[in-house]
Amino acid sequence: MFYRTIYSALALFALIVPAAKAEEKLSFNRDIRPILSDKCFHCHGPDKNTREADIRLDTREGALAEESIVPGDIKASEVYWRITSDDEDDIMPPPDSNKHLTSEEKKLVERWIKEGAEYEAHWAYLSVEPASSEHSIDDFVAERLAAVGLERSKSADPVTVLRRLHFDITGIPPTEEEAKRFGETDLGSYVDGLLASPHFGERMAIEWLDAVRYADSVGYHGDQLIEVSAYRDWVINAFNANMPFDQFTIEQIAGDLLSDATLQQKVASVFNRLGQTSEEGGIQNAEYLAKYQAERVRTTTTTWMGATLACAECHDHKFDPYSTKDFYQFAAFFADILEKGAWTGDGSFQEDIKPYEAQGYKFGKRGPMLSVPSEEDEARLKELGQKLAAQKTQSQVITPELKAGAAKWVKEQVAVMAKDGPVDYVILSERGEKRNIETKGWKFVGADQGQVFDGSVSRLQESKGLIQHIGNGKGDPLEVADGDELYAYVFLDPKNPPSEVMLQFHHEKGGWNHRAWWGRDEIPYGKGTKGPAHFKAGELPESGKWIRLSVSVKDLGLKAGEKLTQFAFTQFGGKVFWDQSGLTTKNEKYRWGGFSQELNEAIKKPESDRNKKDQAAILTHYRTIAPELESVRNAIAQLDGQMTGIKAGIRTVPATVSAKRRVIRILARGNWMDKSGEVVQPGTPHFLPDHREGDLTRLDLAKWLVSPENPLTSRTFVNRMWARFFGSGISGAVEDLGSQGQWPTHPELLDHLAAGFVESGWDMKQLVKTIVLSETYRQSSNATPALQERDPYNRLLARQSGIRLVAELVRDNALAVSGLLNPEVGGPSARPYQPAGYYQHLNFPRRTYKAGADASQYRRGVYTHWQRTFLHPAMRAFDAPSREECAVKRDVSSTPLQALVLLNDPTFVEAAKALAENESSIPEMFQRVLTRAPDAAELEVLTKFYHSELARFEKEPNYADALLAVGMKAIPKTESHVQLAARTSVARSILNLQEVITRY
Amino acid sequence: MNFETIDQLKRRTFLQNSFSGMGALSMAGLLGGQQNLFGQSSDVDGVLGETRHRPVKVKRVIHLCMAGGQSHLESFDNKPKLAELDGKPMPASFTEGQQLAQLQKSAGKLKCMGPRYAFKKWGKSGQEISEVFPHIGSVADEIAIIRSMQTEQINHDPAHTFMNTGSIIPGRPSMGAWVNYGIGSASEDLPGFVVLTSEGGGQGQPISSRQWNNGFLPSRHQGVQFQSKGDAVHYVNNPAGVTRDAQRGVVDTVNQLNRLLGERRLDPEIEGRIAQYEMAFKMQASVPGLMDVSAESAKTLEMYGCTPEDGSFAANCLLARRLAERDVRFIQLYHRGWDHHGAIQDKFRKTAEIVDQGTAALIRDLKERGMLDDTLIIFGGEFGRTPMAQGSGRDHHINAFSMFMCGGGIKGGVTHGATDELGYAAVEDPVHVHDLHATMLHLLGVDHKKLTYRFQGRDFRLTDVFGHLIKPILA
Repeated sequence: MFYRTIYSALALFALIVPAAKAEEKLSFNRDIRPILSDKCFHCHGPDKNTREADIRLDTREGALAEESIVPGDIKASEVYWRITSDDEDDIMPPPDSNKHLTSEEKKLVERWIKEGAEYEAHWAYLSVEPASSEHSIDDFVAERLAAVGLERSKSADPVTVLRRLHFDITGIPPTEEEAKRFGETDLGSYVDGLLASPHFGERMAIEWLDAVRYADSVGYHGDQLIEVSAYRDWVINAFNANMPFDQFTIEQIAGDLLSDATLQQKVASVFNRLGQTSEEGGIQNAEYLAKYQAERVRTTTTTWMGATLACAECHDHKFDPYSTKDFYQFAAFFADILEKGAWTGDGSFQEDIKPYEAQGYKFGKRGPMLSVPSEEDEARLKELGQKLAAQKTQSQVITPELKAGAAKWVKEQVAVMAKDGPVDYVILSERGEKRNIETKGWKFVGADQGQVFDGSVSRLQESKGLIQHIGNGKGDPLEVADGDELYAYVFLDPKNPPSEVMLQFHHEKGGWNHRAWWGRDEIPYGKGTKGPAHFKAGELPESGKWIRLSVSVKDLGLKAGEKLTQFAFTQFGGKVFWDQSGLTTKNEKYRWGGFSQELNEAIKKPESDRNKKDQAAILTHYRTIAPELESVRNAIAQLDGQMTGIKAGIRTVPATVSAKRRVIRILARGNWMDKSGEVVQPGTPHFLPDHREGDLTRLDLAKWLVSPENPLTSRTFVNRMWARFFGSGISGAVEDLGSQGQWPTHPELLDHLAAGFVESGWDMKQLVKTIVLSETYRQSSNATPALQERDPYNRLLARQSGIRLVAELVRDNALAVSGLLNPEVGGPSARPYQPAGYYQHLNFPRRTYKAGADASQYRRGVYTHWQRTFLHPAMRAFDAPSREECAVKRDVSSTPLQALVLLNDPTFVEAAKALAENESSIPEMFQRVLTRAPDAAELEVLTKFYHSELARFEKEPNYADALLAVGMKAIPKTESHVQLAARTSVARSILNLQEVITRY
Repeated sequence: MNFETIDQLKRRTFLQNSFSGMGALSMAGLLGGQQNLFGQSSDVDGVLGETRHRPVKVKRVIHLCMAGGQSHLESFDNKPKLAELDGKPMPASFTEGQQLAQLQKSAGKLKCMGPRYAFKKWGKSGQEISEVFPHIGSVADEIAIIRSMQTEQINHDPAHTFMNTGSIIPGRPSMGAWVNYGIGSASEDLPGFVVLTSEGGGQGQPISSRQWNNGFLPSRHQGVQFQSKGDAVHYVNNPAGVTRDAQRGVVDTVNQLNRLLGERRLDPEIEGRIAQYEMAFKMQASVPGLMDVSAESAKTLEMYGCTPEDGSFAANCLLARRLAERDVRFIQLYHRGWDHHGAIQDKFRKTAEIVDQGTAALIRDLKERGMLDDTLIIFGGEFGRTPMAQGSGRDHHINAFSMFMCGGGIKGGVTHGATDELGYAAVEDPVHVHDLHATMLHLLGVDHKKLTYRFQGRDFRLTDVFGHLIKPILA
């Protein structure tokens, strides 16, 4: 097998490098550099520290210096006799390097030396050649094909072209209606329509999110969650708005540094906070800062420059001219980002964070946070704020009725004071504003939803077991006196009464051991003890009416002067409305309801003596209880509640905040503990055009990346886009345009597109449109055997490539054709069905996955929750990367695990069910999924299977019910389950087809 | 399991799909040289095909990972001097300028903690192993103990990453993936790299699926985790209401339609897809068959000390033997429970009790079945623990720890390397993680320097640019 491989490879070599014909001069970059780079540079290249025998072959000057190469004279050239030597001691590369030159390669080197051994700078570091206005994509491709005696394939059939455009531009397959429109519209307009779809941004975002390593968890160790979805929305929106790529770059790398940066520009700069972080106990701050800085260099240089600068972390690059200093200077651009290395108690920010807090940044577990309200949120908050202001104004209006009411209330208070008997001092009523009710599991209800004792709401508590809520009086402890009683009003639901109710009080010093209970002894608190810690106050009160539960402080073991700080309202099972609670007391302090000193004095005064301040104090208090203002108070409470709810739902993201730049040193061999290295300033790689270093910022870096002189950025992006539309890049190694990368199959085309891209103002939609409108793009992907044999990788583009859908699209496609897809754009991440127990190895904290139980279940794959250490198994099976690191190329594998996903994952089973439900026949299902009718043979296979399944389900109808119960979507009762299930089986088969998961 | 069949290889000649990472990467090889022509032939089985650089000693590897960092001082490295200094200050000469983990806050106040248990001499070889491992002690003559292991990463997550991938950068291929990439899988109907996990005895540190990831190698080489609860492999069971016959019907329908597609369109992927559906269908039977241990004898179950399917480490050891019998190439068991920062006296013993019997039973069982000769067992954690006390426990430690190897090509009953008198640093024959990898590949017949994969322009190895064979323990 190995030998056959060699022969075929040589045949291919000849095909791919046809210009190396005998009569034509060799090109260093095309023909020679790949050989020297791979076989020689490791020891005789840019890294001066490991250069053997002080000979370098990566520059002509170096090669000529020691007569390693003597142009035109192979006999005098040491390189030549070294590579052709038979002696193990002399031959280069040395045998233990595991590298050797083929005879083809030796001949090429020989010919090149004879021809004068001319060097060229590496192609990707040369300026991009201006776009040729005369040439189109098709011209470049045709010229290259003609040179090897090939020609383009004919155009694919319209349905194939339509589906290809849909998968490539929006990622959602065409509907019947769209297919019809496609036939009636000119191609350009149709493509414009797709580019204008909000789903364009979602499709474009998939690969971009891989590159910028977007994920919903931090990756290291406990892989805790981190909310960054607002950044993903920014990416999607930016693609949809056709933001020019230079702006797109600047905002992500340095949006926060733009003058008057908008909220969205700050969100874009969250790019800088997407790397993995750790909060593992015992990690060192400096060690992790070194990890983060190296990771940023890897991500940024791979994504924008197609560069492997990362290799220079420990030593000068072995193949490209990047030095170690270049690496650390690049890293220094990011040293201003306010962050910790260890996100634990041991980590520290580079400077005091108080000034940043003063600027309004809230600091969370991962440092400064940015609040990102959506436009709807902002609009809604504004609207509610206005309504709230109006209600508040309304509440301040002084009417004669209000005055009269207040006067009456004052009279009542004076009368109470005059009496000797105890009064009810309320500690908790209404929404418990002053008592800050803590525990969850209960809710406020108005009279329309249940029972209310006084005011406008009561507190409903319902459970099958133990449940309670706690009122907090820590800021204002309640003092008891002899003879006092504590009380609470309860309404037990007659249909669902509890078995026990309990009042519990927390002593300022002594804890919770003051309890009174009614009913059956089931609540565990104090159970088994006697006395005030578990005082039985009576049988379960009557249900269906308001009852006042009351217990003396004596029975609770409380003495005069002792203070209570918390009040718990506990029940076992059932449904109970809880309302006003308080202390019945003679204590002077509380006779006045615990009013403020100011109010007390105002009431005590004779009416004629009250000044304006007294009047105001009385009115202010009265407004909180005035019956005529109840509706206003309710409206205010409701508005407040709504606004609080919206604010709580507003997403935050970890903010990129520019702070004092950390000192960045060259770390000898990458060792973070070594503090002896040279301190460096930010700087761009020294050998690339427009080199800059000094007191520079991320903004300078971003602008340098997208300056017209930069030879790498436009080529890198265009090359990657090309790979998305054709299966591989014009330079095959999209992740490495450096010396070890690949000579472009169509170098002029790559430059033409890159230059055109820059000239167009970095117009991304225009780039896509240019590509998809070419005839090259629209060719048939169905290779002839001869072509498959001759150009198996389709590098010459005599046809299109069939491309298996990426993981996200495999999902989207099934959901779309089955009508389940939720087309909503943007928003928080979604959680599709996932096998139980998949997160069992996560810890700190332990986690249980909860699949989305609403429409979020059916969101597009791009929104799937991305848990770095345990990516959703269906996504993983279809080669989605973990995004622990920058990834600009996905593997395209074919494995049985993929088959298991499509066959058995409930997402796909449910999609089959929905498809069977929507389309009432096999041809209709087939048509909906593949935009074409089945042919006779296909229909026969499917029909046969339908009948076998129908017979099976008729025999065992419970199987039909079981199959149709998969997924949360309810099935209609109208249709026969047996038939629907049989169609579902057929739909499962269709959704598993190669044609369904491939864009041809 | 070969995720692609021989048949398919024949059809595809030597070049597979035009858009895969492999394909494009291999182009670099074609243009730049022939190193990657090896890469080209990796379509089916291992990239090395039948080629081996060394005599093949073992066919498979079972890695018993003591996750959390097992203390060498309570297991395989007897330090009487440390016992003498129990409670006394740790001599500063040992720790100066060294990286500490959680103890970094206590630097300057470090105290020695003596070994918590007595050591005994076991077997004819008289190897010293702590008293809490009586079962492993009983197979002492089979194992080669390495007392001089060293690693580079002092925290769990990166240390596991380093132990598995030889790199501290997350996302590099794990050793199981490298082995499958190199020599392929021999299993007919199971993945070539299977991972099982258990926990108990101490705090369960998280374990990332990154530890069995394929990194930049083709995804088919990734480890597949078998769950002890629910479906053993994700989606391996049919949906409700679908019988095995009915599933067969779906697979047949899919494959028939895919064949019809193949008649119209020249796409080598189609044949591959058909093969994958057959393989998936086989797996749906073979995985439950593997997990069903009801046919194991009472004697066997007693030897392992487990009840079937209890999800314990011992039950996983039994599954490891069953996987080995089915020719799975790389089997990895994690036991999460060794992170004994506190109460080590009690918790180490508990954790040891959990793993001791199953480990010894696996060795004995393989031997009785004649399989120990072609299996390599590697036992140990991602790092060791400090001779210094951290309260009632020990902190993470990277300068010295112990592991053992056992099986084909390994000398039994030997101890290799030594630490200083306090067990702080390996001072005699230090063995680095890269050396462990190099030795493992060597036993599989592979020269670690010759198993490479080109990624981002560089020929990567499991051992990076390092790695020496641990020759003294080789038989």
